[in-house]
Amino acid sequence: MNAVLKVEHLKKSFGENHVLKDISFDLNQGEVLSIIGPSGSGKSTLLRCITQLETMDAGAVCVNGKNMIVGLDKKGNAKYAPPNVLREIRLSTGLVFQNFNLFPHLTVLQNLTIAPIRVLGMDREEARKRGRELLEQMGLASKEKAYPCELSGGQQQRVSIARALAMKPEILFFDEPTSALDPELTGEVLKIIKGLADKKMTMVIVTHEMAFARDVANKVIFMDQGVIVEQGSPDFVFNQSGNERLASFLSRFSQG
Amino acid sequence: MADLANLLPILWGGFCTTLAIFGLTLLFSIPLGLLVAVLKMSKYRVVRYPVSFYISVMRGTPLLLQIVAIYFGSYYLSEYSGIGLSFDRFPAVVAAFSINYAAYFAEIFRGGIQAIPKGQYEAASMLGLTKGQTFFRIILPQVVKQVVPASANEVITLVKDTSLAQVIAVTELFSLAKKQQAAYASIYPLFVAGVFYYVANLLLSCFFAYIEKKLNYYK
Repeated sequence: MNAVLKVEHLKKSFGENHVLKDISFDLNQGEVLSIIGPSGSGKSTLLRCITQLETMDAGAVCVNGKNMIVGLDKKGNAKYAPPNVLREIRLSTGLVFQNFNLFPHLTVLQNLTIAPIRVLGMDREEARKRGRELLEQMGLASKEKAYPCELSGGQQQRVSIARALAMKPEILFFDEPTSALDPELTGEVLKIIKGLADKKMTMVIVTHEMAFARDVANKVIFMDQGVIVEQGSPDFVFNQSGNERLASFLSRFSQG
Repeated sequence: MADLANLLPILWGGFCTTLAIFGLTLLFSIPLGLLVAVLKMSKYRVVRYPVSFYISVMRGTPLLLQIVAIYFGSYYLSEYSGIGLSFDRFPAVVAAFSINYAAYFAEIFRGGIQAIPKGQYEAASMLGLTKGQTFFRIILPQVVKQVVPASANEVITLVKDTSLAQVIAVTELFSLAKKQQAAYASIYPLFVAGVFYYVANLLLSCFFAYIEKKLNYYK
């Protein structure tokens, strides 16, 4: 099996606050990983380190065979690869944010085409064509001329998934994609993500939707206080693990 | 009563000078203000501090004094030390207005830039857009919408501030009106000048209202 994402001994602190203590895992092509855990356990920070929105202090991340970290600098911190390598890695990763972060001054279609045109140098017409295909896939074919503010939260999140997919990433990351949505809108977004999983899109999903985390994933990681407490198949993590912290975390959800 | 038919051509001539000061000041101060705003947000103190000092001097001293300082200052500097350039009256006024208004615009633009959520930068960066692309295609268009109301205020103030140019004897609208006031021994020319300013600002207000409406296509 070829691991498309490899994380080894990743550490990250904000001052005295050790957010990620020693995180290691890997993910194969076409697999889906769900990351669950209480708020403040470091899930989002982990995602942000892997997607280069935060810098890690130590460890290694390898995406698609390319190493983000190439050793240590003089202070003993992780030394990042040269900018061109980081950029290549960046372009092979996509991120869907909790708050969508769509560009409000651009139409839905423009949100989808700006990066393919400006970054990948894709032909304008081709980018539009592809954008429309993605919108159709998201069930938003009629919305291409709309502005994000005219859409519901669920629709906005689907646009932002399409925007990330327009760049044809190797791995798609989701940072609590439904946490900003009204409960009745989460279903439409989860359905889209499930559809991507069926098409063997490699994905890492940080979520508080436990049933979804279990159903969509090949692999589940439970994090607490900056460490991976338990990881394994969904069946193992949700049903068989005897871990106490995991059990008490899960029981809070089943009561909820 | 002063003769309006005689008065209007004279005041119109002054108004053209006023418009020239106004137009040139905007032309220079808006790009300069954007640059100053960006420099003020620099992570380097050697850049940030001098820029902050410049802004505080521009906002903390009378524009009248700044006009005088630029005109006479540049004159004495080039006269006695041979360095620098001495400004004629009109360019001195435009230079003083431009650097003064750039400071005000800079603060408005900085506020506008800082009001853009961090997520916009992160989304742009995740998509691989460069810093330049992010600024000019994602951030700046949103900043424009943010800063239009506050900038409109400055622009309207500028129309009236142009009358300060008379301090170094640039014959703009208000100084000519004052001359006519003396000639006719009547304050009537001043009121006519007032109408010029008012109409100009009325048109500007309409223009900005239109722009604001145009930019309202998204929230």
